[in-house]
Amino acid sequence: MIVLVGGILMIVQYFIPHQYSQNIFNYYTEWAPIVGAFALILGVGSLTRVHSHKIRRKAKNWQFSWAVLIPLYGMPFFALIWPQSLWGGMEEPGIFDFVFMHIQVPIQATMFSLLAFYIASAAFRAFRAKSALATVLLLAAVIVMLGQVPIGEMLGRWLPETGLWILRYPNLAAKRAIMLGVGFGILATNLKIIFGVERNWLGGAGK
Amino acid sequence: MILLLLPSLSVAQGVDEILTPVAGEQLEEPDPGLDIPGAVTVLDRDNDAGDQLEVYFEPPADLEGILAYNIYRRAVSDEGNEDWSLVKIIPVIEPTEFIDGYDPEYPIEPGILYEYKVASTSITGEEFFGPVCRAEIVSQGEFYHTGKTRVLIAGALFIFLIFYYFGKAQRGFKMYLRPIAGIEAIDEAIGRATEMGKPVLYVPGLSTISDVATIASLTILSRVAKKIALYQTPLLVPNRDPIVYTVADEVVKQAYLEAGRPDAYDPDSVFFLTDSQFAFVAGVNGIMMREKPATNFYLGMFWAESLILAETGSLSGAIQIAGTDAVTQLPFFITTCDYTLIGEELYAASAYLGREPKQIGAVKGQDSCKAIIMVFITLALIFGIIDIVADTHILDWLRNIVTSPIID
Amino acid sequence: MLNIDRRWIFLAIGVVSIVPFLIGIGMPVSTTVEVENIFDYVNELGKDDAIFISFDYAPGTQAENTPMAIAVMRHALHNDVSVFLTANQPLGHGMAIGALHYVTDPAIPDFYESVSFEDWSALRDAGIVDKDELVSAWESEGNVLPEGCSGWIFEGRDYALLGYAPVFNLVILGMTNSIEAQYPQDAHGNSTGEMPMLRDHKSLREVDLALSCSGSGACVWWITYAREKIGMPVAFGVTAVMATDYYPYIQSGQIIGQMGGLRGAAEYEVLLYENGVTVTTGKAFTGMDVQSAAHLLIIFLIIMGNIAFFAGGFHKKTALKGRG
Repeated sequence: MIVLVGGILMIVQYFIPHQYSQNIFNYYTEWAPIVGAFALILGVGSLTRVHSHKIRRKAKNWQFSWAVLIPLYGMPFFALIWPQSLWGGMEEPGIFDFVFMHIQVPIQATMFSLLAFYIASAAFRAFRAKSALATVLLLAAVIVMLGQVPIGEMLGRWLPETGLWILRYPNLAAKRAIMLGVGFGILATNLKIIFGVERNWLGGAGK
Repeated sequence: MILLLLPSLSVAQGVDEILTPVAGEQLEEPDPGLDIPGAVTVLDRDNDAGDQLEVYFEPPADLEGILAYNIYRRAVSDEGNEDWSLVKIIPVIEPTEFIDGYDPEYPIEPGILYEYKVASTSITGEEFFGPVCRAEIVSQGEFYHTGKTRVLIAGALFIFLIFYYFGKAQRGFKMYLRPIAGIEAIDEAIGRATEMGKPVLYVPGLSTISDVATIASLTILSRVAKKIALYQTPLLVPNRDPIVYTVADEVVKQAYLEAGRPDAYDPDSVFFLTDSQFAFVAGVNGIMMREKPATNFYLGMFWAESLILAETGSLSGAIQIAGTDAVTQLPFFITTCDYTLIGEELYAASAYLGREPKQIGAVKGQDSCKAIIMVFITLALIFGIIDIVADTHILDWLRNIVTSPIID
Repeated sequence: MLNIDRRWIFLAIGVVSIVPFLIGIGMPVSTTVEVENIFDYVNELGKDDAIFISFDYAPGTQAENTPMAIAVMRHALHNDVSVFLTANQPLGHGMAIGALHYVTDPAIPDFYESVSFEDWSALRDAGIVDKDELVSAWESEGNVLPEGCSGWIFEGRDYALLGYAPVFNLVILGMTNSIEAQYPQDAHGNSTGEMPMLRDHKSLREVDLALSCSGSGACVWWITYAREKIGMPVAFGVTAVMATDYYPYIQSGQIIGQMGGLRGAAEYEVLLYENGVTVTTGKAFTGMDVQSAAHLLIIFLIIMGNIAFFAGGFHKKTALKGRG
């Protein structure tokens, strides 16, 4: 019922510019971040519960659970309660900034850089000219890849120009078609949710 | 008297709402070297919340020495007038009109009467004021935004079509859904995990609950969890978003209940990992390498991490079924996974699995909406060609029907 | 050959990524109209204008997104355009801080000397907020521009680190009415109401451009809530894999241009260098050598994989199985 009323209300609100309608929308925009913030507490609680169980039961690889819990509570501690720098005092960088810039950022960048290795491996393993369409796909991929890098331009001006043509025309047409399809899928799914046709996402409350 | 009447005469030509110069207000004596602006015209802006006014004023005949115009406003009420506030400065080269109410420091209140006066400003900052003019109208909000009519018509049409097919399906009309290999393989994939005694890993995407792909994924999770409950296969559902975690937890719990196996439900099987994208991927990769699930489901919204997930799963030897509407990630899933649900197949999956009439009707409704768009695109293509050949502007006519300009 | 150990492939990628980086070949990079449009637009802006640079990405995609943001930030600061720095997630906030430190790092060419909001409060209280007058007044107090520095940048006049605010799509919507209402204080605790750049640009209606540097779909929020609501010009700086998704927005005019991946950032750096805004190109330009080598290797692997596939007769076996 909440979803039905809320969904219809927000649809109708979109077409009504009056102040009363804007007040409803402003009310919603004030509540949404609050709900999101409380949901984070649930998430942190879940993570703490799972890993503290592992530690208590000395389950397999329980030591790594400490590696999860210590930074989980350590970072907010250094951000809020003890924001000093490594050398004491309030000069930058604080311990929080240091850990973020020198541990978290490189770790995340490293994870993303794995993509380069995995793409090469996947390209070797799976990119096969098994059919005419697959061959066309491969050729287009090679042209676009070479067109994107300076070495492609050195091989011939036609490479980057053809690559850009592929991006600006066939790719654009296909992406637009997919966007339209996905858009209607979103519309239909949202209608199903608002009008109660789709209730699995409610879990137990949906029955 | 003549001076007070002049502004009224000048604005009486074809303007709906006029401003009346206020009796008793003295005009500044103009410096002979700097001309003053004329009367101010105020109109209520359409399609707003009663917080905007359209303000026009006549520029001076002679712009010599003028740097900018300072526009002052004050509210007028029976209790007394407020002080003047400088609400806008318009350089002399720009048009002598603006929308008042955009400045958050000087908002327009609905139903309040306002007065305006405009001053020509010299380079030294000296101001030479034109007449003080009081609006005869107050700003009012509208109850319907006329600029969104096209959106309303299109939305109503598409919603009608979807509900039409809802009804048609409920009346027993048989509708065909083509087989989707990935969905048909779900049973086989879960059976494989049961035989091997290994868990099933289900990743419901990395997006929030407001993303439709996540909701579609949770719908599939419900059905997958029910099957898993029957087979008593371990299930692992790591989540990136705390709200998605709470919903996934409820979905899985309910699925076990419906399968008649509430005792088999493990609350630790659905858990929140982290809300950082690559930290989440690292965590899931670790789970895959340690727990060695036999079946991996990647259903929902994914971004750059998709290849890392799928390639690691492939390394661990699991059968993998992926589904996302993130088009850029589809190539990675297609190359590394055994089955992939592409784009809308993810949304259609819940209809396909449950075979409920309304669900299938919704899929048909989507297709009919797409058919309408295809008609418009075909028409646009034909009209575009005609425009080139015959030097006409039919395409612009169609564009004006279908698209709407910036409306706020 | 089809069963070659993946680790050889990983080693090859590692080698071709490191060697060009060390050698530094410096192959020329030509520019595309999508990036030139952004450059030309920012080039037309001046000291009365302002732009938003939104760091809508996490450290994972910083290799592609950070050079874009830094290049545009340098361009804006060179033209005395006020720059608002925001982020749609907490990690993006860290990226914004990192980018600001990079632009003000004396060890890096084309750096700027930053003056904190508190340090120039006396001049602000005296009503000196015009950039040229501010620089003169600041230097007349005995402050000397360091050698090699491109200029002074004053917090609250030239830049404001607004940072992260939750539910960022609603924050954008709120900023169409008032930026101060969404960010009463900046990330350093300074009151935004006292900042000259906030007094001159109170809402997104008065801001000239929003550049969203994004590694996810968050950049589309700027179109939905800013561009379509109030007509605010928007530009994208996205990762290469996402760049193909947004060509429809370029064609329809909903974004003025797009920097796609490291290539897009390199193009912008080249434009800055060729137009005399910077004395050197940056990390993205250097990275293009690595990208060239990596792309060549991947194409080589694709070709070798197909040769092995067809030479081994696997295509016939696949056809027989009916799984062509």
